[in-house]
Amino acid sequence: MIADLLTPFHYDYLLKAIWVSALVGGACGFLSAFVTLKGWSLMGDALSHAVVPGVAVSYILGLPFVLGAFVAALLASGAMVLVRARSRIREDATIGIVFTSFFALGLVLISRFPSKVDLKMILFGNILGISGSDVIQVAAISALTLLVLGLKWRDLMLVSFDPAQARTLGLPAAWLQWLLLALLSATAVAALQAVGACLVVAMLVTPGATAYLLTDRFGRLIWLSTAMGAFTSWLGAYLSYHFNGATGGCIVVLQTLLFLVAFTFAPKHGWLAARRRVKQDWTPPLDT
Amino acid sequence: MTEAPFDLAVEGVSVAYANGHLALRDASFHLSGGTICALVGVNGSGKSTLFKSIMGFVKPVSGHVTINGAAVKVALKRNVVAYVPQAEEVDWDFPVSVADVAMMGRYGRMNFLRIPSATDKTKVEEALRRVSMWDFRDRQIGELSGGQKKRVFLARALAQEGRVILLDEPFTGVDVKTEQAIIDLLRELRAEGCIILVSTHNLGSVPEFCDQVVLINRTVLGYGPTSEVFTEDNLSKAFGGALRHFHFEHSTVQDHDGRAIRVLTDDERPLVFGKDGHLEYKDREGREDILRQREEET
Repeated sequence: MIADLLTPFHYDYLLKAIWVSALVGGACGFLSAFVTLKGWSLMGDALSHAVVPGVAVSYILGLPFVLGAFVAALLASGAMVLVRARSRIREDATIGIVFTSFFALGLVLISRFPSKVDLKMILFGNILGISGSDVIQVAAISALTLLVLGLKWRDLMLVSFDPAQARTLGLPAAWLQWLLLALLSATAVAALQAVGACLVVAMLVTPGATAYLLTDRFGRLIWLSTAMGAFTSWLGAYLSYHFNGATGGCIVVLQTLLFLVAFTFAPKHGWLAARRRVKQDWTPPLDT
Repeated sequence: MTEAPFDLAVEGVSVAYANGHLALRDASFHLSGGTICALVGVNGSGKSTLFKSIMGFVKPVSGHVTINGAAVKVALKRNVVAYVPQAEEVDWDFPVSVADVAMMGRYGRMNFLRIPSATDKTKVEEALRRVSMWDFRDRQIGELSGGQKKRVFLARALAQEGRVILLDEPFTGVDVKTEQAIIDLLRELRAEGCIILVSTHNLGSVPEFCDQVVLINRTVLGYGPTSEVFTEDNLSKAFGGALRHFHFEHSTVQDHDGRAIRVLTDDERPLVFGKDGHLEYKDREGREDILRQREEET
């Protein structure tokens, strides 16, 4: 029994995959703090689907998948900006149209070259089974994202909270917004390998949303969401070995469990706390 | 902290919307510190466009704004322009504390990683104490009253050590006590040489604390000392039909001046013209000499 549970740790490639998964989860968790507060959930979902044709083309041509994903993300963002600027269609509809188009194109490409790309892998991810060079790309993207966020999170927080203040201080506000979008695309690509296109958005939203229920300080929120992202991804990847490789499912189910716990029991913003306040006829601590 | 007097020059500024229409046409005025200047005009008269061009958010199609002779971009890099936003522009559910917001005024002076130095912390504490918000420093900003919220963002401008301070509707949602506290603070800043530009609907309070006025309606209609510019004639011109006029006859106002007064109001607090020019209608008792005192101060 115990020997069974320890099996994954005896294989180097599995151990590596589990730790890379934790790294991806940490990067997504960190970024999810910004995604939830900026209301970019739909954007994250869109980007994770829009990169699919790029990834497919990369595999077909034997290029690093990051390259194709990057080009596809760029094209998709450009298409969204164009449709938004040149028509009266609203932003959410624009995002909906563009990301489904890209995703559909990806599906067509994949079904045309079934020997080069595995549709199941793209849709549901397979971090335990991906090749060595892909693991390196995923790890590199995640590490770079964590590094950039770690260095510039205060600037990105200011731009998210109050872009006008950022600009009056002479900070490059527009550039910082683009940086955040670029990081979002990059992590969407990395998370694609871990949990698949369908579940990327959970990695980019749930840890941040859970942490937001637990704290009122941005610094603490980042720690919590990063830690939750990394922990659930580590444990999810490990458990999925025993569940025949449904890594994405395991990770996201764990994240959802944490969310439900926070939703119910969070000391201040939880459901029970709100009920307690109603019972005690609690009034907010306001004074003039 | 008193430095050489600061100077703000808006010269022939025209700003166009994306659709090509002009939001502001050939607007010009000069201010030098210290001064508290009211920016008065109807909604859509270009007040916020003017603010945006002073903050460098919009690029004028012609004309230019200079701060101490330097272009806006250069002034922003020096952190001399501070902005106090309207309450509606702020996401009050954002997980930041009172102290966090005040610290955002210091970002431009921090290193690459924005890790606060001892000086930054001292300046934030000074700023928060000055607006009596130090005791609330760990509160999440959404848990404050309207007046407290406003004071937090004022503290941010103080921590930034801005010399040109732009305030957008600073008195909406603010209780009378806080309004007085804000006015006192602005007058201190004026004494320190700051240029304070206040966009407001609150016509009634303008003569009480603003020594200069810029009247705006898609262009600058007039600017200068309050007593010369903030007149009934000019206001009617600036507001056109948007201003409500109430004419009270002798019988209604015996207790005040013993003769006719006129009330002009654009918003909640009316502007009252009477014997000594401008009068604060509702708070007048015991403060009859306040306008004379203000005039002597400047």
